[in-house]
Amino acid sequence: MIKREIEITNKLGLHARAAAKLSHLANTFNSDIFLIYDQDKVNAKSLLGILTMAASIGNNITIVAKGKDEEKAVNKITELFHNKFNEEN
Amino acid sequence: MTKNNQGLEIRELITQGNIDITNVYNKKYLSNIIRHPRSQRPGLALAGYFKYLERDRIQIFGKTEIGYLNQLNPEERQRQLTNFFTHKIAGVIISENQDVSQFIIPSVQSYKTPVLISKLRTSLLVSRISTFLYRQFSKKIRVNGVLMDIMGIGTLIRGDSGIGKSETALELVNKGNQLISDDLIEFYLNSNDEPVGRSIDRIKKWIEVRGLGIINIADIYGVGALMDEKKLDLVINLEKWSPKKKYDRLGEENQYYRILGKDAPMFTLPVAPGRNLSTLIQVAVKYFISRKNGSLSFIEHIYNQDKGK
Repeated sequence: MIKREIEITNKLGLHARAAAKLSHLANTFNSDIFLIYDQDKVNAKSLLGILTMAASIGNNITIVAKGKDEEKAVNKITELFHNKFNEEN
Repeated sequence: MTKNNQGLEIRELITQGNIDITNVYNKKYLSNIIRHPRSQRPGLALAGYFKYLERDRIQIFGKTEIGYLNQLNPEERQRQLTNFFTHKIAGVIISENQDVSQFIIPSVQSYKTPVLISKLRTSLLVSRISTFLYRQFSKKIRVNGVLMDIMGIGTLIRGDSGIGKSETALELVNKGNQLISDDLIEFYLNSNDEPVGRSIDRIKKWIEVRGLGIINIADIYGVGALMDEKKLDLVINLEKWSPKKKYDRLGEENQYYRILGKDAPMFTLPVAPGRNLSTLIQVAVKYFISRKNGSLSFIEHIYNQDKGK
């Protein structure tokens, strides 16, 4: 199992489009992937789940992955966050 | 993932508790905190017995309390009320719009307690308050899955992401069942200690269908397809069909799903191409109802037949 904490840096936070990109990416891995924010833990493969968190810029989120491709999954998701969901230049 | 509330302002009880308040005195103390999900009838506390009086519980003055106060002489009545209110009571509610303009109200400003008048009869008031407060105070947990009312049975459908929970939910709604929530459900224990699931406001009414996006169930099926909350009766666990796994062929195994310390009966249904999940789930629910009503399982039926020979 891998855990990594990450800060949200894009302006709009985990809004609908970003959440869609995130859940789409998570669905490409076999591992179970969860996001923890505040006291909530949601499945990263579930779009509506991510949207319930209403996480915005400056908030810290923990990514937890468990499975054969856990390392790759966490790396790719971290990259997506760092790239601000490819929506800002 | 559990959440615990530390307390609740009286103000929130008025705005969200559905308790038909007609008048409020001492408004500046509406921020007093209730820390207990049950209300209390002060009863003997008005006669000077304070041992079990708890200031953190909301105090209800019903017919008994007001009747008792009414038959006291005015000085004695004032003495008892002053004693009662010196216990820093969080809040008082008077039921059935009873008239307290001769006492309590004239001296209300000397107390640090808000006094509310409700038009509900006492038993209904007590029950509404505990329904509301238990929901607020209960330990809560969020669970991944779909919660539906299927023929009156609160059914939680669980399974890995991508197994088809949402699509199955859509089919079940199509067949006339009601949806509480898709994807994430918040469970709490009600005043009977039973797990009750409700939808999370942000995603209420919405369901994700791959290929279509996120659609509004109320727009497509009408508000009758939705329900606010439902007690959990049965869990359906969807699993990818694996040839290695042994599935229950005779219906002998009793499986349970543990939630908030309670066990809910569970069926595991293997998912394979060509299996019609919504029909299977409806049958599972009907089977659950018939077993609950005492119909025999196949094994019991065979056993009884053999015994008869």
